[in-house]
Amino acid sequence: MIIPVLFGVSVVIFFTLRVIPGDVAQTILGTSATEESLAALRNKFGLNMPLYEQYFTWMSGVLVGDFGVSMRTGAEILPEILSRFAITFELTILAAFISWIIAIPLGIIAGVKRNTKTDFSVRIISLLGVSVPNFALATILILVLSLSFNYSPPVGYVGFFEDPVKNLQILFLPAFVLGTGMAGAVMRMTRSSILEILRQDFIRTVRAKGVRERVVIFNHAFKNALIPILTIIGMQIGVLLGGTVIIEQIFSLPGLGQMVLTGINQRDFTVVQGAILFIAFVFVLINLLVDLLYSYLDPRISYK
Amino acid sequence: MESLLELKDVSIDFQSKRKSFNIIKNINLKIDRKMKYGIVGESGSGKSLTSLAVMNLLSDNLSIGQGEIILRTEEEKVLNHLSKKAMRDVRGEDIAMIFQEPMTALDPLYTIEYQIIEVLKYHRKMSKKEMREKAIAMLTSVGISRPEKIMDDYPHQLSGGMRQRVMIAMALITEPKLLIADEPTTALDVTIQAQILDLMNDLTEEHGTSILMITHDLGVILETCDRVAVMYAGQVVEESTVKNVFDNPQHPYTQGLLKSIKTLGDRSEKLYSIPGNVPTPDEYQELGCRFATRCPFAFDKCFSEEPPAFQVGADQTSKCWLHDEEANPNE
Ligand SMILES: Nc1ncnc2c1ncn2[C@@H]1O[C@H](COP(=O)(O)OP(=O)(O)OP(=O)(O)O)[C@@H](O)[C@H]1O
Ligand code: SF4
Ligand SMILES: [Mg+2]
Repeated sequence: MIIPVLFGVSVVIFFTLRVIPGDVAQTILGTSATEESLAALRNKFGLNMPLYEQYFTWMSGVLVGDFGVSMRTGAEILPEILSRFAITFELTILAAFISWIIAIPLGIIAGVKRNTKTDFSVRIISLLGVSVPNFALATILILVLSLSFNYSPPVGYVGFFEDPVKNLQILFLPAFVLGTGMAGAVMRMTRSSILEILRQDFIRTVRAKGVRERVVIFNHAFKNALIPILTIIGMQIGVLLGGTVIIEQIFSLPGLGQMVLTGINQRDFTVVQGAILFIAFVFVLINLLVDLLYSYLDPRISYK
Repeated sequence: MESLLELKDVSIDFQSKRKSFNIIKNINLKIDRKMKYGIVGESGSGKSLTSLAVMNLLSDNLSIGQGEIILRTEEEKVLNHLSKKAMRDVRGEDIAMIFQEPMTALDPLYTIEYQIIEVLKYHRKMSKKEMREKAIAMLTSVGISRPEKIMDDYPHQLSGGMRQRVMIAMALITEPKLLIADEPTTALDVTIQAQILDLMNDLTEEHGTSILMITHDLGVILETCDRVAVMYAGQVVEESTVKNVFDNPQHPYTQGLLKSIKTLGDRSEKLYSIPGNVPTPDEYQELGCRFATRCPFAFDKCFSEEPPAFQVGADQTSKCWLHDEEANPNE
């Protein structure tokens, strides 16, 4: 499964990039470049070779972990991807935690107390969560915080291992914005699956045994509801790990999203194709992980 | 001796924001110790709701509007007035329940062992090892040949008959005073149905457990029960010993039911069925007899006034105006 998917992605991204009109060497070196320097760049990156040959050269590098160098800066691409991925990864994990802390308890409460005022309020909150765009929430938050608390968006990024406190200060706000965005969907899914499971016969069986309601909800209803919830969470994490262009932009975080965006703007094809292939790889990996979790949770699903 | 379970004038109402109506009306039942009591009636007559009311497991939009459900074990408890905690002590300990669909009645994510032991965890102080041993012994007594293996299985690995055996083991492991079985064999193959009924009979006899058997199948009643209540549209229309009801049915609805199964075995006659359909709760008439729209004997009074349960013979009641000498036009 994984191999054909990644192969497909590599083909599509490689050839799509090549279809973009305009001379790459010219764009990168600028209009004042001499004929010789243009020819040198074309030679260096094999731009004169037939497309399929360029593709095979690229892939044979990638397969041994060599993603090549940036057309513009000449820097190694893989180390750059990894250092940016570290930021994106931390941001995603923080955002996911924030969303679960909000969404799962509220979703359970809403499902258990359906059609009450509590349920109604939770549904409104979740609707807000899904419908307010992240960039709007981010901008509003920054505005409010800077006007009333003298907050200013951090400039420059500090790694977790350099200064954990500073690092968390920088990442908390963007993670919060992303987390509330994710929470809406998770809340909805939690509520509707809890509702669905509570209607099942086996819940009645458990209650008929004289088991405490708390145990009915957590050990039986929630555990069964977790399977559809996991699907949504897996998707969300997969998407976030691919980088979040707008949030990274607003909070000036050097994440994966920014790398791809600048790469495209600068026609730095080697960077773009490397980064996107890596993102696809991570996405597939997350899906695999979710599948493994399914089979761990549900004895009816066996992982092959 | 006083009965083990008594329903006194129990009514169940449905409520929603838009409407509310009565579903179950004035049910009276008495189940003695060791008695096998049947409730029979067509789909939608309110059999399941009656049994769920006993367990206090009605869904939120349903409630016991009036009446008392009394359980007499060492002490007397009015079940519908118990606290949540006290009711939990009754469930699984004094009264156990098995359901129609063995396919969906077990939690798919837990092993059989976990689900059987779960009952003991809440009602007994036992070590893990003791609970496991007891569960294995119980599985053996419901006729499961390799109990140790089954213990580690998940529900989806078992057949319907096996699951129902597991349900019975789970229900009887605490030796409850009363076992409520809501259509325990309806979803099973015919050959397995008889085995499961025999098993329930044997085990409950052994421990002196009473049974409340709920079914739409008169055959099941005939095979397993001592007494029977016939339900129609949320009411008990006739009540007596199984023998009385089968040999000498008094209520027009019971007569119709029996006629429809008797013609089933006899090809020469056209299959008899009671004309019309079972009404749904929002169609129940406020006034009169709920069976009047389908009853071949209905007369004026049947549409204007609800018949009480008349005592007919020494040990039989029938909720029909025909037993009232003043009202009956034919007498
Ligand atoms: N939660 C509920 N809300 C509203 N009406 C309900 C609810 N549960 C059951 N009813 C209605 O109450 C009536 C009695 O239902 P009940 O389940 O007791 O019937 P039953 O005799 O067990 O029938 P079956 O043989 O189909 O199981 C039915 O008309 C049903 O539609
Ligand atoms: S009361 Fe009237 S309608 Fe009802 S069963 Fe008797 S005869 Fe029929
Ligand atoms: Mg039923």
